[in-house]
Amino acid sequence: MGKAFDFTLILEFIPTLVKYLGITLEILFFSIILGILIGLVAAIPKIFKIPILKQLVTIYISFIRGTPIIIQLFLVYYGLPALFNLFHIDLSRVDALYFVIITYAISNGAIFAEIFRGAILAINSGQTEAAYTIGMTPSQNFRRIIFPQALRIAFPNIGNSVIGSLKDTSLAFTIGVMDMMGRGETLIASTAHALEVYISLSIIYYAIVIIIENIFKVYERYLNRYQPDEISAV
Amino acid sequence: MTIDFPFIWTAFKEILKAIPLTLLLTITPLAIGFLIGLLVTWIRIGKARLIRLIANFYVSFFRGTPAIMHIMIIYFGLPILINQLVHYFELPIETNKIPISLFVILALSFTAGAYFSEIIRSGIASVTTGQIEAAYTVGMNTYQVAKRIILPQALAQSIPNITNIVVGFLHTTSIAFLVSQTEITGAANIVASKNLKFLEAFIAAGIIYWLITLMIEMISHFIEKKAKSYISSAL
Repeated sequence: MGKAFDFTLILEFIPTLVKYLGITLEILFFSIILGILIGLVAAIPKIFKIPILKQLVTIYISFIRGTPIIIQLFLVYYGLPALFNLFHIDLSRVDALYFVIITYAISNGAIFAEIFRGAILAINSGQTEAAYTIGMTPSQNFRRIIFPQALRIAFPNIGNSVIGSLKDTSLAFTIGVMDMMGRGETLIASTAHALEVYISLSIIYYAIVIIIENIFKVYERYLNRYQPDEISAV
Repeated sequence: MTIDFPFIWTAFKEILKAIPLTLLLTITPLAIGFLIGLLVTWIRIGKARLIRLIANFYVSFFRGTPAIMHIMIIYFGLPILINQLVHYFELPIETNKIPISLFVILALSFTAGAYFSEIIRSGIASVTTGQIEAAYTVGMNTYQVAKRIILPQALAQSIPNITNIVVGFLHTTSIAFLVSQTEITGAANIVASKNLKFLEAFIAAGIIYWLITLMIEMISHFIEKKAKSYISSAL
């Protein structure tokens, strides 16, 4: 089970692993952007109570929230090629990275759909009525009244999902993606210093989480700039 | 490759046997983590600055790193530590005979402790200071205030968060398959590899996780209705 613990190796491993941070962030970035798009589309049937579509979206969200990300990853990785095989399209040479991005996008989409729905429904219907009263069109009402307020409400949850998603990327290596974690696994194979590798990885993940958290905090303060003090003080 | 539907059922029955271990790996860390969370919250709202800093760092670090790190660091780190202790004190323990599930439980307990601390803290913050003042006014001491006024309301308020963490930890146990535990994902992986039917096995595993999650959510709704019954009667 590995060799004796060597503290200096941690400092040596961190620069090697950080080189692969780009792949981790790439997975994160694309899965969040695609996830937001899926979330927007999936939130519509629930907000406007469109029959059948609403039930389908409910099942989709329930399934994503009901299964571990690793199972979703395996289902996409083994399921998508099988699905495309029916149409005689061969996916066996596609890079595992794309399967990871698709899985995380589908997973984030369900979570974003719930966040968007909650945020939009949280806005008092009196606001919409007031907007119509002063002669705004539905699209103006959405752009100028609903969206800015919904964004403010949804923002802390979006921040949490992004951080959760970053932590989930640490499982992408299970289907053979060479991200930070994947590089860590090869380092373990070549040096047999597993503990040091995992400590180095933890330090990097922790640093990134702190950075993302602070970016979101600054922007959250910006979004709350029109809030009266007693509300933002809570 | 086409989907072999009857095999999903075969795999389903095979994977069901892994549920006890999955529940053990879910419930034990949550129970230990709840106690850690209470202790850590007590430290964090207390006045001792140094241990407060340590407690804050613990919560922030465990919430800021993936659970797989906690499992791997304990799995690889603890045996090294125990080995040295065993060597030093000449204890009759063989490190490689310690079941891996114990390492997983220990690691996830620390993870759960950090999450619980945040949940308990926000639950306590939801109890207004007026109530605490009122309790002191009628002559309760600090222990009584905590037991009769703060905790019952804080817990009722925390039920949705606690449900999320229970479901989250059920799903986190799937990582334990990477350290060769035959919980649901591990069992699915074995069934899949034996028959070379990966998709079918993971569909079965997904359904099992989904069903357990739905059951947890149903139980939670029931408890929440009971726990919050005093609120609706007040309105």
